[in-house]
Amino acid sequence: MSHTQDKSAALRQGVLIFIYLAALTALEYFIAITFKAVSILVIVAMIKAALVMYYYMHIYKLNAESEDDEHSYEYKTGTNRLGLWLFLLSDSFVFAGLMTTRINLLGLTRPHLDQLLGLVVTAILLLSSFFMNRGETAMSHGDKKSFMNNTLVTFVLGLGFLLGVVLVEWRLAAEGGLVASFGNPAAGPMGAVFYIMTGMHAFHVLTGLIFLGVVWNNARKNLYSARQHWGVEAAAVYWHFVDLVWIFYYPALYLIGRVV
Amino acid sequence: MKKFFSTALARGLVWQLIGTLVGAGLVTGIRAMMGLSITDTFFFTEPAWVLGAFFGVLFFLAGNGSVSDWFKWSRGIDTPEHHEDHYTGWEKYLNVSLDHKVIGIQYTVTALLLISIGGLFALIFRTELAQSQLQFLTVDMKLFGQNGPQLYNTLMSLHGMIMIVSILLGIAGIINYVVPLLLGAQDMAFPRLNAFSFWIAVPAAVLLLMSLVLGGFDTGWTGYPPLSVRAPVGVQMFFLGVAAAGWSSILGALNVIATIIRMRSKGMTAMRMPIFVWAAVATSIIALTATQLIGLSFQLVMFQRLFGMGFFDPAKGGNPVLFQHLFWFYSHPAVYVFVLPGLGVISELLPVFARKPLFGYRWIAMSSMGIALVGFLVWAHHMFTSGMNEYLRVPFMYSTLLVAIPTGVKFFSWVATIWKGKLTYPTPMLFVLGAIVVFLLGGLTGPPNATVSVDLHLHDTYFIVGHFHDTIFGGFVFPFFAALYYWFPKATGRRMNETLGKIHFWLMTPSFFVLTFGMMQIGLLGMRRRIVDYDPALGFDSTHLVLTIAGYLIGLSVLIFIYNFFNSIKNGEKAEGNVWNSRSPEWQVPSPMPVHNYDQPFEVVGEPYDYGLPGSKYVEFSSPAKSKHK
Amino acid sequence: MGHFIIVGILVVVMAILTYVGLDAAGVATQMHPIEASLQSVSIDWLWNWEIMAISFLFALIVVPMAYSMIVFRRKKGDPSEGEHFEGNTTLEIVWTVIPLFAVLALAYMGSYSLGETRRVDPNAIVIKVKAQQFAWTFEYPEYGIVSNELHLPVDQQVVLKMESADVIHSFWVPEFRVKQDIVPGPLTDYRITPILVGDYKVRCAELCGASHAYMENNVIVDTKADYDAWIAEQRAIALANQTPEGQGKLLTVKNGCIGCHSVDGAKMTGPTWLGLFGSNAELADGTTVVSDEAYITESILDPKAKEVAGFSPTTMPPYTLSEVEIANIIAYLKTLK
Ligand code: HEA
Ligand code: HEA
Ligand code: HEC
Ligand code: CUA
Ligand SMILES: [Cu+2]
Repeated sequence: MSHTQDKSAALRQGVLIFIYLAALTALEYFIAITFKAVSILVIVAMIKAALVMYYYMHIYKLNAESEDDEHSYEYKTGTNRLGLWLFLLSDSFVFAGLMTTRINLLGLTRPHLDQLLGLVVTAILLLSSFFMNRGETAMSHGDKKSFMNNTLVTFVLGLGFLLGVVLVEWRLAAEGGLVASFGNPAAGPMGAVFYIMTGMHAFHVLTGLIFLGVVWNNARKNLYSARQHWGVEAAAVYWHFVDLVWIFYYPALYLIGRVV
Repeated sequence: MKKFFSTALARGLVWQLIGTLVGAGLVTGIRAMMGLSITDTFFFTEPAWVLGAFFGVLFFLAGNGSVSDWFKWSRGIDTPEHHEDHYTGWEKYLNVSLDHKVIGIQYTVTALLLISIGGLFALIFRTELAQSQLQFLTVDMKLFGQNGPQLYNTLMSLHGMIMIVSILLGIAGIINYVVPLLLGAQDMAFPRLNAFSFWIAVPAAVLLLMSLVLGGFDTGWTGYPPLSVRAPVGVQMFFLGVAAAGWSSILGALNVIATIIRMRSKGMTAMRMPIFVWAAVATSIIALTATQLIGLSFQLVMFQRLFGMGFFDPAKGGNPVLFQHLFWFYSHPAVYVFVLPGLGVISELLPVFARKPLFGYRWIAMSSMGIALVGFLVWAHHMFTSGMNEYLRVPFMYSTLLVAIPTGVKFFSWVATIWKGKLTYPTPMLFVLGAIVVFLLGGLTGPPNATVSVDLHLHDTYFIVGHFHDTIFGGFVFPFFAALYYWFPKATGRRMNETLGKIHFWLMTPSFFVLTFGMMQIGLLGMRRRIVDYDPALGFDSTHLVLTIAGYLIGLSVLIFIYNFFNSIKNGEKAEGNVWNSRSPEWQVPSPMPVHNYDQPFEVVGEPYDYGLPGSKYVEFSSPAKSKHK
Repeated sequence: MGHFIIVGILVVVMAILTYVGLDAAGVATQMHPIEASLQSVSIDWLWNWEIMAISFLFALIVVPMAYSMIVFRRKKGDPSEGEHFEGNTTLEIVWTVIPLFAVLALAYMGSYSLGETRRVDPNAIVIKVKAQQFAWTFEYPEYGIVSNELHLPVDQQVVLKMESADVIHSFWVPEFRVKQDIVPGPLTDYRITPILVGDYKVRCAELCGASHAYMENNVIVDTKADYDAWIAEQRAIALANQTPEGQGKLLTVKNGCIGCHSVDGAKMTGPTWLGLFGSNAELADGTTVVSDEAYITESILDPKAKEVAGFSPTTMPPYTLSEVEIANIIAYLKTLK
């Protein structure tokens, strides 16, 4: 548990990581509009992913030895944490499979999408991750109120992302020629790949939102404490995972290759 | 009967029906609102069936109660850590239980049921194959909207998939029952998830069977597009069924890994785990990750059908070969999911019946991991003729051949294990030895398939069919039976009848050799897979007749087993002690296993297989007070 | 030591017996059916080595197993345990490394054999192959010939440029060994050098639907002289077929119609065409219609529109043919009395 760490230091760390991530995202965007080096984009995405996994998702906690006996909350949390990570590992194969599909079918081309909108939704998601981290940090220091506020912000931002993708981006893409008719992404592999990738991701965002709602509500009922808040941690890790996926999907759909 | 209808199983099925109607109704309603016809074909349209089937699964799970604890948790209501079962007798097995032993048995019995259904399908289509020309699956006959040849294809495809699902459930059954006992754990790491993994397999099986009556599908278990894009609605039920069964497998594997990492008893270091546990880890790693890809590949076809998204449609810029890559990325590693637990059972039982340590424990443990990891890199050996990039064939040939090495290590170590032992041959041992020989045959026919040029001849012939029945029988069916005969007394406190067991073995084994050897022979001579009828000029009639008879004899032996199994539960000879004189912890306590497993936790104090070393001990039971783990 | 010597001898004996037995069953030295292509030679060569290896490895495992089972079985009333040894690292390394070499050898031979089967002759004849549910069509672009029998000259490499109209099929002549899928979309190549005159069959090896089993056409390997004669004959027929009926007949071959429709009254996947034109077609709903131009046109463009009794309307794919083409087909159908 990170409550050994001083609260404000933890919060500062969150801010710092957020700044790194934002800077790297800006860098990506810059690369994409200037010299289009795919390899650099891949490397930047990997760095971002590593930052998120380490600082936001606390992957190192998997290693935490607990001396407690196996009926203790801590021991069980350790087991739960392992279970969650295994689940994420499994889930990432779905996303990897879709990525393979994208690479196979589209190669170094990409659909015609609204760049600005892409950047905006990406920023929103990133920001939501930041607030999620704040919320979780707050909870691990027993600050329920701050947790609830931050989670609410996360929720709203997440909802914004979801609506931005599904209501705005999908429609714009359709008007841009990615579908043949309503509900029929038939116009070539571009549409198919774009909708399945964003769709699968959006589905995960949706489940993440539900999860956030559940922990928010449970926090309201005072069910979490500084020592015992596995539900919060799980929701946070899951939320960051959804962000992690987007770290790869965003360049794959918006930045890499030439527009067709 | 009344009792039956109040069980979770019956409730679930009723809810599945309701869910199907709701889902279908929803789509039909929306279509009606959009002014579309609601009586196209089949009364319902394809999207209606798909949503219906999907809702059916969700309703089943919500209705039978396997997710109710999670709903409570999400509302902040705590539930007791370990439910005691309210039911006794057979009712316990038809209701939601969180006890890994009950779940293990639920899995096992479901697997047996599915093997029977899948086997029955095989016997039906084998009967048609007994002679060239069409006998009863003729063009004129009609059943479930399919004519004879179409029905053949459906039965054949379903045979493949139902059998595969039955394997997944069968290994889950054995692992569930045995692994926590071997580890000294009270249960799996996530008991509710465990129950969920089992129960989701039930609607999955229902969906698979539904595909038969909904027009069937004629794609083989591999479901390659574009054929699967053109197949009847049945193929959608097949896809959904596989997806649900896939989740069962994924979540089950997750649970197994977490259990093994977190719940070992004191002193059980990695190299002191019973060898079967290693097999379970290796299997679970594959099942956890790769399984997603079969779900995804089928999902993409499903979307291509529903929304016209042209992933695999060349006319829309798609690529049919891409499907095969996604599909085999799972389906090759899957074959190691089938066999690794079986090979683990062989390694686990051999020392007991040879009264000797397992030869080269570390090597066997590591070979399981090796097979699992190399298994991820070989998938395209199913695609040598597919028209994928030509140069890819060579690396995949090499990687495939590599699997022979860790597998060989196992074989040699087994031989060394029985060398100079004191062998006895009760039924489980017979099945273990049978498994080794059968799997050897199957394994040795693997490398020829792996060498590309030879595979250009063998691909899609009965040689391949022979190859995989050998590997599957040797790697799963035989060890599965061995495991059932072996752990049956642990679960029931009674033994299965030895005489019937031996009849089962001596009927099944020779028939099986005849079946697969005959398959391989005609395969080489030009017998293609997946054909309802063959050219009489090829002269295969007599061989096919023999194969059919052999198939029936295998079926008969399985029936004998099933009789023996259910009969022995009540009437078997009592066996409450350490029947096989094993060192394994679960045999150190009386059978049947108590509800909470070990009353006193144990500590591992020695090597698991030190048979023949006087005074050695594997586990020591301590007093409950010192129950600290790790 | 004694045990090892006996087992060693038995392994050798068993390996030889297995190999001889397999050979007798017709599956070893030369894979059957007979070798009819240059490519099959190197394939069978590799196969033979593999069978030898299999025979040996099979014996290597099964013999010591059987030996232990008999010699080391527990005698009645013997309560003792087996000998206690836990493993032997040297042995483990030996049986990891030796198979490794076997695998390397196999990999080398496999690559060599694959290379042989893919050897390219720049003078290969090009033939176009069209596969569709459930028929094969062969086109000789040089001569303007379309046929549903594949004729090949002996000792001459041909390259088949294969395309599929619908689903995946696979071109396989067992005597030629090599097989190649035909995927809708890109063309796939199939190179073969027949070396033995004879009549063979191409058998579709990839499940492609209800009549997959019957997707078989003749493949005839001719002597050079016979081949030339056949080409000349076909060209003459093609020239003579400039009439609408002739063109129609050609179209039915080219589009694979005759994979499902017979012209002699035999019942196949679809109704026979013999006497079809002008007759009364019985529909599944009990009514009858006269098979006139309109009905036949509709049957081709939209087979699902009217379902003929006893046949499944989903089996026939809809065709997009031009008016002229359909008129030609109808002209041809009229001749089938
Ligand atoms: C339980 C399942 C199982 C197992 C364990 C295996 C094991 C292997 N399989 Fe098999 N296979 C299937 C199930 C299985 N297979 C199925 C279901 C299909 C068909 C799918 C379909 O199309 O429907 C298939 C198809 C299949 C193909 C595709 C054929 C085709 O369609 O054209 C290939 C090709 O390489 C292949 C190869 C192998 C190899 C090399 C192994 C190896 O793992 C075998 C290793 C074992 C040994 C080699 C024996 C012991 C080793 C020694 C004694 C050491 C010394 C040996 C040597 C040096 C060689 N298999
Ligand atoms: C676990 C895996 C498994 C098992 C056990 C079997 C068992 C059998 N299989 Fe299997 N088979 C596959 C997996 C398996 N098969 C797969 C994956 C395919 C590929 C499918 C594809 O190409 O897509 C295949 C394909 C396949 C074919 C090729 C079909 C074709 O290409 O056209 C054949 C042909 O002979 C065949 C025959 C048999 C026979 C005779 C048995 C016998 O052993 C069966 C014995 C009978 C029983 C075990 C049933 C006994 C019980 C009863 C009779 C009681 C019934 C009672 C009730 C229902 C209550 N199988
Ligand atoms: C895959 C098999 C298949 C192929 C290929 C096929 N048909 Fe058919 N055809 C059928 C079946 C089955 C029916 C009967 C069911 C129906 O009415 O659609 C049929 C019906 C017909 C009929 C109506 C016959 C009657 O008795 O009323 C005509 C005419 C016809 N086909 C012409 C053609 C032509 C021309 C082609 C090629 C360009 C062709 N078919 C290719 C399977 C096929
Ligand atoms: Cu064409 Cu099978
Ligand atoms: Cu494989």
